[in-house]
Parts: sequence; structure tokens; C-alpha cells
Amino acid sequence: MNLRWSMGALAVALLCLVQLASAQESKRKVDAGGSVAPTAALERGRTVYVLSSCHFCHGIDLTGASMGAADLMHDPLVGADRNGNLIGSIVLAGLPNLQTAMPKFADLTKDQISDLSGYIHYLRQQGRYKELMATNLDGGDAKAGEAYFNGAGGCNKCHSTSNLASATRKYDASTLRSRFLRPGPFLPAENAAPSAGEQAHLRLLENYSATDVANALAYLEKLPLLR
Amino acid sequence: MILPSRRDFCKFAAALPVAMALPPQQHFQPTLIAGLPFGLETFSFHDLPAAGDPQLIPTIIRNMKSLGINECEIMSGHIEPWGSYATGWWVQTRTAPGYAKMREEARQWRLTVPMDYYRNIRRQFEDAGLRIYYYNVNFNETFSDEERDRTFEAARELGAEGFSSSTVISEAQRLVPFVEKHRMFVAMHNHNNLVDPDQFATPQSFEKALAMSKDFYATLDIGHFTAGNNDVVAFIRQYHDRITNIHIRDRKRDNGPNRPFGQGDTPIKETLRLIRDNHYPIRCYIEYEYGSFRSSVEEVRTCLEYCREALA
Repeated sequence: MNLRWSMGALAVALLCLVQLASAQESKRKVDAGGSVAPTAALERGRTVYVLSSCHFCHGIDLTGASMGAADLMHDPLVGADRNGNLIGSIVLAGLPNLQTAMPKFADLTKDQISDLSGYIHYLRQQGRYKELMATNLDGGDAKAGEAYFNGAGGCNKCHSTSNLASATRKYDASTLRSRFLRPGPFLPAENAAPSAGEQAHLRLLENYSATDVANALAYLEKLPLLR
Repeated sequence: MILPSRRDFCKFAAALPVAMALPPQQHFQPTLIAGLPFGLETFSFHDLPAAGDPQLIPTIIRNMKSLGINECEIMSGHIEPWGSYATGWWVQTRTAPGYAKMREEARQWRLTVPMDYYRNIRRQFEDAGLRIYYYNVNFNETFSDEERDRTFEAARELGAEGFSSSTVISEAQRLVPFVEKHRMFVAMHNHNNLVDPDQFATPQSFEKALAMSKDFYATLDIGHFTAGNNDVVAFIRQYHDRITNIHIRDRKRDNGPNRPFGQGDTPIKETLRLIRDNHYPIRCYIEYEYGSFRSSVEEVRTCLEYCREALA
């Protein structure tokens, strides 16, 4: 009886400890600059983003850009950036001719610019995934989708239609859309570089228009019928 | 950019009776440091509820009480149920889809909202022993004359002495008959765009407006002024009788970034001591805008401590 009581008390104590640790963990994960990033590199990028006060104008998660600032979620320059080559030039020089002039951050190092751009791309990929999953994509044009598949999207460079046709059969519409937008994870394992295919898909995700996605999905959905 | 619906506005209005039931008005006492009246620009609170949220004004009041800062310059985006983008300040957003409709709805709201709306907000501040000293409205060419008139009436109902405005020189010219008609000043607030000659960013740009009307003043943002490579101390020495208040922030020169107080190039200590030692009638308002992982209230408190030490 005593043993059972002791075991019960121990279980309750452990549960309390777990809950306390969990509460402290969740408290630690959010601050005035948003949520703590999931990898060390992204957290370094978030640190630059927040301490340079980028979030006051461009939004904590790139949504709600204010004060006339660029919408980094949709701005094509961000979509074309590679490791800070375009973002960095603006951040370092500022935009003095804007209505209220974006300051220049000339003290940032090359590594900090790389971390910053990595974080901005990460936020953009997450945001655009959510946005494109929530958008009504009815009425896609399969023919335009085929043109995109073989043209601007460059899908045919890696994917054959026969493989995709069998994959398409397996998924319902929502899963197919999700897999199309993000076939791999947002994040590779810590300290591992994303594969070339993952990188290509993340770049596409940053640049798809809703029309591109609607058309490409309409094409993919027809593939099993075409075979 | 979605305007609040009628339902949202009704929710806001529903909070009015609650405010009316607050304890009676407390006596306003300025927050003095070494004899200088300190306040804040409500832009400093970056973690407020969204525009139009019924908790926005109570949160500002709670933050000010927590800081012991009794007066403020309040942004129109904290009074009206949308941000200043809806009323045309940001030139870049005037071409956004849906902007024209949004702007017209904002105009109609301004022209029809009962003045009790503003009186109630004033009452909430006064009941907490606080004061709205300046109404920060960014007048621009998208305002109609009727809208300008109503905005002056709104400022009076809020209990403001006058306006602080991030406006442009061409709009200042349009405002001359309004300051004369309403006998209420407009203080021009500067940024540091040195490219556009219509912007307030240099001593010369201020001089143009100050010459237009005796009811025009400057809200000198000493951080932006420094980022524009101007001499803050020299400007205050020359125009101290035409400056209503300063915005205190610390920026680096050459369009450099905002920094925690004491880490930029802005002569904050020299400026505060200049005002104190010469008894200039200039109010000192903190505007927090550097990056931090801490809350706005914590950072404004740090800024205030820096100023207190500068004047010790």
C-alpha cells in the first residue's frame, strides 16, 4: 500500500516537473522579436533581424509591413536573392530616397548578412506555404500548367510525367497541393545543407504565383488520365 | 489592408459606457526630470493591439502608468480605427489595390464620427491622470478641406494643445488657413530624407514652414536630424522658441540606424542639458525604435533612465 502510494506521489511530482519545464520552455520560446528560431543559424539571422529593428517596418513574420516598407513576403527582389546577394546590398546601403528613408546598416558583416537573408527566406517560405494552402485555386488551366511544367517552372528537368502520374493518384487534392508546394521539410537537419532538389523547391515556393500553382495542379491532376 | 467593419466599430463603441464608469478624473501632473517635462510618442509601443481594437487605448494608458510618464503625443493610428496608411500618409501605399476605397471610407468615418468618440478617449486618459498633449496626424494632399477641419475639431476634443505632423512643405502651405481658423498650432516633425525637397529634414525645410505662419512650430526629432547630418544643438539654440517638443532617439549619422540610447551619434545629453540650462520651453518625448528582444515598456523605461542620468 505504502509502495503504491509512494509511486503515485512520485508520478504526480514528475508530472508537475514536466509541466513546469514545459511552461518555462514555452515562455522562453517567444519574445518581443517573435518565436525563437528552430536552428542556430536561423536564430542568428533572427537576432540580426530583430536587433536591426527590421521587424518594426517589415513585420515580425514578414506580414503586416507598415510605414511604406517593402512587403518582403511578396517582393520579387527577395525571391531572386541568393544568400543575401541582393538583400545585402540594400541593407548595407539603406534607401535614403524613401519617404522616411530606410537606414543603412553598414556595420553588418558578410556572415550577418548571410544569416539575415537565410532567416528572411525561411519566414517567406513558411508564410507563402500557408498563404498558398489557404488560397482558392479553383479554375486552373491544365494547358497553361503544362506550359509552366515544361517551361518557367522547370519541373521537367527533374520530374518525368510517368512518375508524377503515379504519385498524383495517391493523394487527395489538399495533400497534392501541399506536396507540390513543399515536397521536403522547410528545415534540413541541423548543420546539414538542403539537397539541390529541396533548394529548388524552396526557391519555387518563394516565387510561385497563385495562378502558377492553380495551373500546375490542374495539369498534375489530369496526368493519370492522360497516361 | 482591411478596414474595420461596422461590427468592429460597434465593439469599440460598446466599450464607451465602461470608460464612462471609470473613477473620477485624477489631477494631471507633468512628469518632470530636472524640471523638464517628459512624455512619449505612442509609436514607442510596438506591441500594442491592432488599430481599432477596444483594448488599444487601455493598453497605452496602462503602459504609461507603469512607466510613470503622464503625457503623450498620440498617433492618429491609435485613435482612429486604422493605421495612417488608410489616410494617405505613405505615398508608396497609395497605389495598393483597394487603397482608393479604403481612403474614402476613412474620410467618411472622419466626417461622420460623433465628437463624443474623441471626448471619451480624452476622458479615459484624464481619469488615469494622463494627458494627450499633441495629436500626431500626418496631414497630406489626400485630405479634403472638410477632413482637415474635422481633424482640428477632433484634436480639440482630445484635449491636445496642437498637432505634431510628419507632413511635407506643400501640405503645410495648405494648412495655413486652418491653423488660423482653429487657433491651434501644427508642429512639423522631421525625418531624414535629404533627396525630396518637399520633406522636412533640414534647417532650411523647417525655416520655410516657420515663415508661413506664427502657428507653425517644429517637433524636432533629434535622432532623424542627426541621421541627416544636421546639428541638433545649433538648431535648438536658434529656434528654441519655435520648437514645441523634441523626439528623443539615438541614430547614427549618414542615415545610420537607430541604436540604444548612448550608442548612436545623437547628442542626447547635450540637448537635454541645453534645454534645462537655458530654461527653453521644450517638452522632451521619448520615441523608442531600436531593436530589442524586450518589451516596449521595458525599453522605454531604459530610455527614460538614460535621460534621467543625463540630467543628474
